[in-house]
Amino acid sequence: MTDFDRREFMKLSAAAAVAASCPGLVTAMELELGGKDFHQIRTFHARDRKPYLCTMCPYFDGGFTYAEGGEVLKAEGNPHHIASRGKFCAKGLASFFGASDPDRILTPLKRVGARGDGQWQQISWDEAIAEVAGRVQAAMDNSGRDSVYLNEGAFKDGGSVRFMDTIGSRSVIRSRFPSISNAAKQAALEKILGVDFTYPDLEHTKYVLNFGANIMETALPLAQRLTDGIVNNRLKLVTFDVRLSNTAGRSDEWIPVFPGSDGIVALAMANVIMQNGLADTKFINRWTNYSSNKLARHLSKFTPVMAEQASGVMAADIQRIAIEFAKTKPATVFSQNGVSYHQGGIDGEAACLLLSIITGNIDNEGGHCLPRRFDIAALQPRPKKTGSAARQLNHTFPFEVKDGKHKVQVLFNHMSNPAYSSPASSVWREVLKDEQLVPYIVDFTPFMSETSELADIILPDVVGIERDDVASSPTALLPWATMTVPGVKVRGQAQDVRMTFKHIVEAIDADGKRGMKKYWAFTSAKDWVKQEVEGTKGLEQSYKKLKSKGVFPNYGKIDPDTRQIIDEGKPVKGEYATFKKSGFATASGKIEILPPAWTINPRHAAIKPDEFVLSTFKVAYQTLSLTSNLKYLAELWHANPLWINKQTARRLGIRDGELVRVISDVGYMVTKAWLTQGIHPQVLGISTSVGRTSYGRVAQADPEMRSSFPQQGQQEDEDINHNLWWRDSGTNPNDIIPVSIDPASGVQAWNDTVVTIAPAEADDTYGDIKVDNAKHFAIYKKMMGLA
Amino acid sequence: MTESRNDEESTAKKHHNYGIQTPGTKGIAGTKRYAMAIDLRKCIGCMSCVVACKSEFGTPLGVWRTWVKVADKGHYPNTQRVFMPRLCNHCDYPICVRNCPTQATFKHKDGFVLQRYNRCIGCRTCVVACPYNARHLVPAKRTDKNLPHSVVDKCTFCIHRVKRGMLPACVQACVGGARIFGDLNDPDSEVAKLVSKEPVTVLKPELGTSPSVFYIGGDWEIMDEPHSYENRTSQLKEEFNDFKRNHEGDAFGDIVEGESTMYHVSKNMKDFIASIPHKASDVIDAFKRLLFK
Amino acid sequence: MNESVITYNVFHHVAWGTPISIYFWLVGASAGSFVISSFGWVFGIKRYKPLALTASLQAIILLMIVPVLLIWDLGKPVRFIYLMLPGYWHSTGPMAWGSLLIFSYPVSMIVYTYFVLKNNLFWAKAFGIVAIVLALSTHWYTGVVMELNPGRYMNHTALAPILFLTGAFISGIGLLILILWVQNMIVDVKKRIEWPLIEEMAQYMMYGIVFDCFLLFLEFMQTLYGNRSEMISHELLLGVFRFPYLWLEIILGLLIPLFILVSPLKKQKYGVILASFLVAIGVYGMRVWWVMGGQYMQTFY
Ligand SMILES: Nc1nc2c(c(=O)[nH]1)N[C@H]1C(S)=C(S)[C@@H](COP(=O)(O)OP(=O)(O)OC[C@H]3O[C@@H](n4cnc5c(=O)[nH]c(N)nc54)[C@H](O)[C@@H]3O)O[C@H]1N2
Ligand SMILES: Nc1nc2c(c(=O)[nH]1)N[C@H]1C(S)=C(S)[C@@H](COP(=O)(O)OP(=O)(O)OC[C@H]3O[C@@H](n4cnc5c(=O)[nH]c(N)nc54)[C@H](O)[C@@H]3O)O[C@H]1N2
Ligand code: SF4
Ligand code: SF4
Ligand code: SF4
Ligand code: SF4
Ligand code: SF4
Ligand SMILES: [Mo]
Repeated sequence: MTDFDRREFMKLSAAAAVAASCPGLVTAMELELGGKDFHQIRTFHARDRKPYLCTMCPYFDGGFTYAEGGEVLKAEGNPHHIASRGKFCAKGLASFFGASDPDRILTPLKRVGARGDGQWQQISWDEAIAEVAGRVQAAMDNSGRDSVYLNEGAFKDGGSVRFMDTIGSRSVIRSRFPSISNAAKQAALEKILGVDFTYPDLEHTKYVLNFGANIMETALPLAQRLTDGIVNNRLKLVTFDVRLSNTAGRSDEWIPVFPGSDGIVALAMANVIMQNGLADTKFINRWTNYSSNKLARHLSKFTPVMAEQASGVMAADIQRIAIEFAKTKPATVFSQNGVSYHQGGIDGEAACLLLSIITGNIDNEGGHCLPRRFDIAALQPRPKKTGSAARQLNHTFPFEVKDGKHKVQVLFNHMSNPAYSSPASSVWREVLKDEQLVPYIVDFTPFMSETSELADIILPDVVGIERDDVASSPTALLPWATMTVPGVKVRGQAQDVRMTFKHIVEAIDADGKRGMKKYWAFTSAKDWVKQEVEGTKGLEQSYKKLKSKGVFPNYGKIDPDTRQIIDEGKPVKGEYATFKKSGFATASGKIEILPPAWTINPRHAAIKPDEFVLSTFKVAYQTLSLTSNLKYLAELWHANPLWINKQTARRLGIRDGELVRVISDVGYMVTKAWLTQGIHPQVLGISTSVGRTSYGRVAQADPEMRSSFPQQGQQEDEDINHNLWWRDSGTNPNDIIPVSIDPASGVQAWNDTVVTIAPAEADDTYGDIKVDNAKHFAIYKKMMGLA
Repeated sequence: MTESRNDEESTAKKHHNYGIQTPGTKGIAGTKRYAMAIDLRKCIGCMSCVVACKSEFGTPLGVWRTWVKVADKGHYPNTQRVFMPRLCNHCDYPICVRNCPTQATFKHKDGFVLQRYNRCIGCRTCVVACPYNARHLVPAKRTDKNLPHSVVDKCTFCIHRVKRGMLPACVQACVGGARIFGDLNDPDSEVAKLVSKEPVTVLKPELGTSPSVFYIGGDWEIMDEPHSYENRTSQLKEEFNDFKRNHEGDAFGDIVEGESTMYHVSKNMKDFIASIPHKASDVIDAFKRLLFK
Repeated sequence: MNESVITYNVFHHVAWGTPISIYFWLVGASAGSFVISSFGWVFGIKRYKPLALTASLQAIILLMIVPVLLIWDLGKPVRFIYLMLPGYWHSTGPMAWGSLLIFSYPVSMIVYTYFVLKNNLFWAKAFGIVAIVLALSTHWYTGVVMELNPGRYMNHTALAPILFLTGAFISGIGLLILILWVQNMIVDVKKRIEWPLIEEMAQYMMYGIVFDCFLLFLEFMQTLYGNRSEMISHELLLGVFRFPYLWLEIILGLLIPLFILVSPLKKQKYGVILASFLVAIGVYGMRVWWVMGGQYMQTFY
């Protein structure tokens, strides 16, 4: 028990944990959840264990890697970690394979031949740094600092933004936020609650209203709490989704909605709740900028009948669910990309959040909680922030380049793959290929992505298990921090980006006269992390503990059966209603409800019976690009046929497995139809993450293929060479998805695209994609006129 | 190599205490009977179990110790999804054990049904015999060449972990908390409580194998064998054929739907002949070991 | 009924494939021809004595191929020896018995043939009896191997060994007739086997076919009784295994030969030859679907 620093931590920090007495819950443990690992046959010694934090998605689950003979052979969740509770999802579990990926880039590569031809030459780090530094310096001197661009996609930037601040360039393209990830939700939360994240307390709730979030596939730390709630609390789960995601499929009720109409459904529900006197008026009056009467008046125009017309959800169902939700205490709401990824996504998110607010389910046990986490501090001294004024949107960037709005000299790309993951990705590729528009592209990456193919120089980065890192994410009721200590030697000549940037800075500012070098005074990535930890409020003394235990604080032991954290024989609970002490993080200290609003996308309002909304979604077994070449994940998920409602297909005469054309305003793709009872009749669904043209044998399902670049110590994996059995590697929908920006938040309206479907023509083959970039431009122009 | 094989054997003897067909020990006080309960209400189809198991054992592509079946049920909009994790049932009356001609597979007194790789000749009788498809021949080619190959393998209930006081890898990883593992004969264990409290089903009870894997909230249709064959999406049918065409098994009898059986019969024979060289090298290896070690 | 569609699953191999089905066919044909060989020396039917040598040589040669197939089909060929080592041998495994039979049957057969060559009636008879028991057991056990798989609907029937033996009997005769026919063309007139004898064998073959049809009828009666196995039967008979099952086994291997052998065609030399040929390959069709079909459906479970 001396291990647990909950009490010690309570002294240090404001976020307290209370042990509630709840006798009889603790059972004797028979077997341990993990924390040790052995070889399946040679079980003599436990493997070498190192803390590991998974960076495959923004939840940053804490775990361990286990190495034997200098190679990591296993990764798993840390059983003492309060959020992951010993669990990793499939992506996290497989992530360590990235290190031994036989198609990995292990030396700096310089393009020979034309861009995109796939001819590379190995160069030394010295040459590479000298060349990049020279380019940056020339750009700064000749075309101004802002001509150095960074396309940044990582959840953790690895120093790239610091580098931009160091050289004083404002040209940072945030490819995730606020562009192509769930920015509308972030924007709504920031305005209303003053936070960028919330935590639905699924473990303790009795009722969950889920709008367009695929918790069971995309939010695994939340999913495990959801299943506990389902069995222990018998909670009711109602999911609004346009298709049967795993979450919808396991919900008590799946309610298919017409795309983009969640907002009006939520508003109608709020209206019903107010009308029936089920709202927590005390809470509204005390803690929001609205009085309950005023809010009721504002909401009264959103009737269930109106919502039914827009969403197809029956008014009676809206009424029933609203009342159920309001009467069940506690209850919570969760919403994600299904709501965000539309024109007006921010209103939709605000409407969903409103349901939690008016029922008083904010930061209470089983409700919609504020985030609890540590804000990892930046290293000191720190360069002045260049400001967000010129923050570029990822999805408009290539158009603007083409329009001459950006004079790019150097483009850095870090942990982002716009040539595949962005809307109008064909335009991205066109622009990146054009040496006139983008004269010099540097990509930091361990893997050859569709974007890397178009780079001029590739600087090999380390992969997750080789990287020193620290992170914290609000995925539990108590704050935690977790750390990666590399379990193995870095393979080949790969190098942490932070060190690469340091070397570039040192080359530009060799004598420190330009005042840049001082911001890069750390000695190694390890040192960087140490300084971060020691500078973070609440973590000052925790570096040693983090390094050995992988998580801080250690609140208690996690019972493998009940999954509760136990200390002194009692379950440890989180603290609720923190806002009562300090108010909300908004300007007024109150919840700043946005005026209830909902607008219909005009294109959807005028949709014809034979037009469909194309919906794209993530699956549990892949990320967009990070996981592409991991064999165990690709084996689980490698093909993405087009979901189409069975009734609809029958009407159109489309058979299961038949080749079809999906035609958008800019072109078409040829894929296979997958007939299902699990999708709205006017929606077509297609998953992302597959349909690669890069990354290697596994991602491209071609065991015969060999990487086109010279590899240091290229290794063959007999398993991949002989046993890789699938040949269908899917199709990428992003070429036919035009840009569509929600003006209020900047988010791409991924799930708004209107398409038609037709049987494939005689000479169509599976995977054919034909788009007209000129049409992409026309749409972009029209949209900017509107926006 | 010979040395480590002997080691393996003696470790097996010492730890596993094998009797070939140990009688079932369910409910016998003072004995252990490890079992798994799979609470399908909690299974979210994340397949963490599959990946955890595969990386625990470096299982090659195309073979699985555990997997999760998925089915969609009902008509729009009343559609639901069901998941069905599968693994070896560690039967109390294991048909695989009875069928094995060399005693390579055996029932451990604590409930595990295990393989002795050094005895297995790769005849696959047990694979044919197992009603649950729980077994597979490990392909000759795999990433780590020091691990067993060309012998039959299956889920071991992670005995190498359990005997060291840890839960099996799939249970450890199970995000939903759907897999519960423990000693069925210990009334205080979670698994015993669940099995006695909740209505449980096992797969193919009519065969009398007495499985040690219990399902809570099982769905008969996904548990039914012919149903799985009959009602598949055409995507799955295609993948099935891809698998049969491209996964290198040694002379397996794989038939691709929609192509002539006889064509595949001859192709199987071709594969069989093609497998001769690597097996010959195995033979040579064996002699070398005999002579030089 | 509520719709239920499997949307994801993993796949399995049919663990025993072509080598095993060829092996079953070879063992069967060997046993069948050995039975004919024994007619003269063991059962004392004089007119069969001239056949004995050819028949038993055929049986031996067919059986020589078996170990090659079987051993190379093992994942670990060198370890075939484990099948017979005392510390390994497992009494409840049909394969363990089978391997003993596969090695002892040819030995007894060779000794028997030696005495036939030496014209030693007593010892030929003695070893003939041993060999005939072993011949029948060797083939009987292949049926048992299939039968003792409670999970494989189509194989799990007590009829299996009888079906296999009947198949062995008719395919053995069929193959023998073909070989005798060829032999007759090569050897000089005196040594030729008289045609009536061959016709008589064809007659036995016909009885075998009738019995086989009866067994098949029993099988169909059971499997087509309207439960899940009906669906499986349909799928095998008319679907993937249509060629070996319906065409090769039933139509080409049983019905057409039967028709030939009950019609006046049986008096025609080429009628008998054709029937023998069809029976021999028809039984191979049966081996193919019995071995692979029984597992096929389950590879999706
Ligand atoms: N496995 C996995 N997990 C991930 C990631 C990953 O790549 N893979 N990425 C991480 C990242 S970066 C993000 S942003 C999150 C995203 O996590 P989510 O938001 O949960 O994921 P999405 O698949 O983008 O969208 C969720 C659902 O919205 C549905 N949908 C589409 N249109 C509508 C609509 O109009 N209304 C409603 N109600 N639903 C609709 C889709 O069918 C889909 O099931 O996941 C994170 N976690
Ligand atoms: N149609 C459609 N498109 C979508 C979405 C959708 O729902 N529908 N979702 C969108 C969302 S929410 C997001 S967040 C984006 C994500 O899209 P991306 O940002 O493209 O996806 P990532 O998977 O993060 O991959 C980033 C890149 O990092 C590289 N990489 C992997 N590991 C490392 C490493 O250790 N170091 C470095 N330096 N690089 C590494 C990978 O090779 C890859 O090129 O996609 C968006 N795209
Ligand atoms: S949910 Fe999965 S990918 Fe995301 S941090 Fe956790 S283990 Fe990693
Ligand atoms: S499930 Fe199959 S392999 Fe496992 S014990 Fe039972 S019969 Fe044997
Ligand atoms: S394959 Fe191995 S374990 Fe299976 S029956 Fe043959 S010898 Fe026994
Ligand atoms: S118990 Fe072990 S071997 Fe069996 S399925 Fe689970 S992880 Fe795999
Ligand atoms: S890990 Fe658990 S929840 Fe996930 S699929 Fe496997 S059994 Fe189901
Ligand atoms: Mo995202």
